Amino acid sequence: MGDPAPASGIEGRPEDILRASAVSRSFEGVQALQDVTLELHSREVVGLVGPNGAGKSTLVNVLTGFDLPTSGTVELRGREITGWSAHRRARSGLTRTFQHSRSLRALSVRENVEVAALGVGVGAREARRRAQELLGRLGLTELADVRAGSLAQGDERRLGVARALVTEPAFVLMDEPAAGLPEAEVPEFAEVVRSVRDDHRAGVLLIDHNMALVMGVCDRIHVLDQGRTLAAGTPEEIRGDLNVAAAYLGETAVATDA
Amino acid sequence: MSRRLDTLTELLGPAVIVILVGALATTASASNEVYFLNALVFVAIVVAIYVFVGISGVLSFGQISFVAVGAFAAGVMTVPVDSKKGVLTSVFPLLRDHSVGNVPSLLLAAGLGGVFAFVVGLPLMRLSGLAAGIATFAVLEITHNVLREWTKIGPGATTLALVPETTGALQATLGALVAIVVAFLYQRSRRGRLLRASREDPAVARSVGVNIHLERLLAFTLSGALAGFAGALYVHLLGSITTEQVYLELTFLTLAMLVVGGLTSLWGAVIGALGVSGLDSFLSRAEQSHVHVVLTFTLWQGTRLVFLAAIMALVLILRPSGLTGGRELRLRWSLRRGRG
Ligand SMILES: Nc1ncnc2c1ncn2[C@@H]1O[C@H](COP(=O)(O)OP(=O)(O)OP(=O)(O)O)[C@@H](O)[C@H]1O
Ligand SMILES: [Mg+2]
Repeated sequence: MGDPAPASGIEGRPEDILRASAVSRSFEGVQALQDVTLELHSREVVGLVGPNGAGKSTLVNVLTGFDLPTSGTVELRGREITGWSAHRRARSGLTRTFQHSRSLRALSVRENVEVAALGVGVGAREARRRAQELLGRLGLTELADVRAGSLAQGDERRLGVARALVTEPAFVLMDEPAAGLPEAEVPEFAEVVRSVRDDHRAGVLLIDHNMALVMGVCDRIHVLDQGRTLAAGTPEEIRGDLNVAAAYLGETAVATDA
Repeated sequence: MSRRLDTLTELLGPAVIVILVGALATTASASNEVYFLNALVFVAIVVAIYVFVGISGVLSFGQISFVAVGAFAAGVMTVPVDSKKGVLTSVFPLLRDHSVGNVPSLLLAAGLGGVFAFVVGLPLMRLSGLAAGIATFAVLEITHNVLREWTKIGPGATTLALVPETTGALQATLGALVAIVVAFLYQRSRRGRLLRASREDPAVARSVGVNIHLERLLAFTLSGALAGFAGALYVHLLGSITTEQVYLELTFLTLAMLVVGGLTSLWGAVIGALGVSGLDSFLSRAEQSHVHVVLTFTLWQGTRLVFLAAIMALVLILRPSGLTGGRELRLRWSLRRGRG
C-alpha cells in the first residue's frame, strides 16, 4: 500500500491500526451497539464472538461503511473515516465478507474474484493473475467456471473470502466465513486465516460461532453481549475470564451454524 | 483459448446478424426496404438502452428523451438553410441561419444526448428501483413538453419536415454496428464489468471498492450519447418527425424489445430489437391493408400495440429472462453448474 517504511515489529503505530472508538448504534428501540471500543492491528487475528443479536455484524457494518454509528468514531491508520463510503474504505485497504450468502450470482466464480480486484483499481492482467492464485489457495480452482449462484454454501463463503483477499486488504473483516463449511475443511480454512496474517501482514477480524476455530487462530478475542463489550483478551484470558459464561460459550458454539 | 472464442462470438454474433439484415434491405423492394431500415435503427436505440438498463439493472423510462433530443437536434440542424424559413419560423437565428451535413449531425446528436444524460443523471443516479423508474419517466415528460412547446429550438407541436433522408441501408447498418461495438467495448471494459457487478449485488460491489453512483452515471451518459446518435439515425430515416414519435409508444416498444430479447445481454438486445420490430412492421402493415399468411386478414386500427403487449407478456411467462435467456451468444455451454 502507499505506506512509508514497512512495519518493524513495533506494536500500536497508528498506521497499523483500525479502531472503533466508543461506537454506539441504535435501531428504533434496539441498542445494537453501546459504547464499544475495539482495535485491530496489522498482523493479528481478533475474534469477535457473542450470542445471536449481540451486535457483531452491526459492528462490522459500522467499521466498513455499510452503516453509520449513532455516536462514536472509526479510525483507519490514524485518519478518521467515520463518514466514508464503503467503496472508499475498500480502496483504502479495508474490506469485508458477508454473513448471509452474497455473491455476484450470474457471474462465474473466477469473474467474481477478478472483478473484485478491478474494483480496487488493479489492472485486468494483474487481476487475472491474482484471481488464479487465490482460487488455488482457497480450493476453488475446480469451480472457477461455475456460476457463483449455484455454489454450495461453504463454497460460497470461501468465494467471499477470495473476493475480499484479492483486493490485498490491510484489514479484512470476516462475518462468519466458516459457516456452512464442512467440519473437515475448518482446519484448512484456519490456515488461510493465519496466512492472511503472516504472509499478507493484514489484520483480520473473525466472527464465528465455532469456538474451536476462534480459540485456535485468534491472537485476541473480543466478546460482545447485547451490544456491550463483555470481555476482551487473549484466548486463555477469555477462557478463564468467563467461568460464568462457560455454559454460554459452549451453548453458542452449537447454537447456530446458519 | 476458449475465452477468446467467447469474446469473438459475443461481438460477431450481433454484428453478423445486423449486416445480414442490412444486406436484405438492399435486395428488398422499395416499399419493404423501410421495414429493414427501421429494424436496424431500432437495434441502435435498444442497444443504447441496454448499455444503461441492461448492464446496471436500474430501470429507466427516460432513455427515449435522449433519442428525442438527438432526433430533433440532427433534424433541425440538417434542414437546408433555404427551407428553414418555411418550416422553422421562430427558432433562434443561430439555428435558423446554419445547417450542417449528415455526419456532423450524427456526432452533434450523440454529444447532446450524452451531455443531457450526464446533467440529468447527476441527481437521478442516486436512485434505484421504483424511485428511479418514476424519476426517469418524469425526464421523458419534461423533455417531451419542452420540445413540443418551445418553438425557439425546434418545430414545436408541428411536424419537422424536409430532413435529408440519409439513413439508407449503408448508414442504418453502420449505425447499428457502431452502437453494438461501443456497447461491446464498454461491457468488456473495467468500468462495464464493475457496473455489472453492482447489478448482481450492490453490497458486494461496494465492499470491493465499486463506486456505484459513479459507474451508473457513466453508463447513463454513454447510453444517452448512443441514444442521441440513434435518434439522429431515426430522423434521417423518417425525413419528417413529430415529438409524438419519440415519446410514450417508442418507450414502450423499445423496452419491450429489450425485455423480450433478454435484458442482460447485448445479444438479447439485438435479437429483441430485430424480432419485435419485424413483428411490429408486420402488424402495422396488417392494420393498413390485407396481409396474406395462409389466410388473408386485416387488423383493426390500434390493435397492433395490443398484440405486441400480449406477445411480450407471453414471452415473459414462458421465458422470464427473454428469448436469449439474457446470455451472450456462445458456441458452447461455458458455465457449468456447481456441486450444490
Ligand atoms: N437494520 C436493522 N434494523 C433494525 N434492527 C437491526 C438492524 N440490524 C440489526 N438489528 C438489530 O441489532 C441487533 C444486533 O444485530 P446483529 O446483526 O449485529 O447481531 P449479530 O451479533 O451479528 O448476530 P448473529 O450472530 O445472529 O449474526 C439485533 O437485535 C438486531 O435485530
Ligand atoms: Mg451477524
